[in-house]
Amino acid sequence: MAYQLLINFFLAFIWMFLTESFTSSGFFIGYLLGLFILFMMRRFFRTDGGSFYFARVWRLFKLFVIFIRELFLANFEVLRLVMSPKLKIQPGIFRYETELDKGWKVSLLSMLITLTPGTLVVQVSRDNSALYIHALNMPDKEVIKKEIYKNFELSIKEATE
Amino acid sequence: MKRKSKPVNDVILQTAAIIIFFIIVIFSIDLFFAGHYSPGGGFIGGLMTSSALVLLLLAFDSQTLKTVLPIDYRLMTATGLLIALGTSLHSIFWGRPFLTHAYDKFHLPLLGEQTLHTAIAFDLGVYLVVIGVTMTIIQTIGESE
Repeated sequence: MAYQLLINFFLAFIWMFLTESFTSSGFFIGYLLGLFILFMMRRFFRTDGGSFYFARVWRLFKLFVIFIRELFLANFEVLRLVMSPKLKIQPGIFRYETELDKGWKVSLLSMLITLTPGTLVVQVSRDNSALYIHALNMPDKEVIKKEIYKNFELSIKEATE
Repeated sequence: MKRKSKPVNDVILQTAAIIIFFIIVIFSIDLFFAGHYSPGGGFIGGLMTSSALVLLLLAFDSQTLKTVLPIDYRLMTATGLLIALGTSLHSIFWGRPFLTHAYDKFHLPLLGEQTLHTAIAFDLGVYLVVIGVTMTIIQTIGESE
């Protein structure tokens, strides 16, 4: 998808040269027009297994929104645990098998898990196939596994397919 | 490239280090050029660049860094000293005292009116010396078993 982005930049520069407006607003208008042209031509990129690149940008944005939401919810959860008079938590470490193939995707997933409070990635297995996660409160590890899968791993899979 | 000595998978550290390395390097270049009117300069820019290299050394091993960047840091130090000496000496040929700097307005292609100053060359010498010395110290300590 990188070359679609390159084409888009190229079209924006061509627009700047055509209209002789060498400003950031001229570049922005050219970029939007190039985006529209690329959207019309999105089936053209499907021949070599690609898709329209802005769809991926949109999915990454959705992943970001999910992450922010989870951050707020989990922080309030940890706040509730800290402020409660009796500390009723069951900490533990569990193994989470992931289906992501590349190293940077596993890193992204690990950072998202670590930044949401209550869970912390302790180690990655040697072949990047499993994460060892420490959870602050896990009465049932399957629930946490399902939540991680539903929130983060599916979104990363969709955004990077 | 995995470490042989430690059977630990540090994929998160390596992925983050590669991304952060570029950010630190571009920030160090900005510091280097900011030195004339605002805080910054050759010394702090060189230290920042070598800190980016040290981050790569932490994430990978020294052999990997040698294959990626085949630079002899002692030569780098010598080059930096030569550049600094040359920019200090050039004023002697114009009948001025040692270390007198010159500046002038130039009309550069694509960049327009720019003021060029010989202090930037002196700063480049300082920059190269700082990187060379820091990396020489760290590599010598790291490789002495």
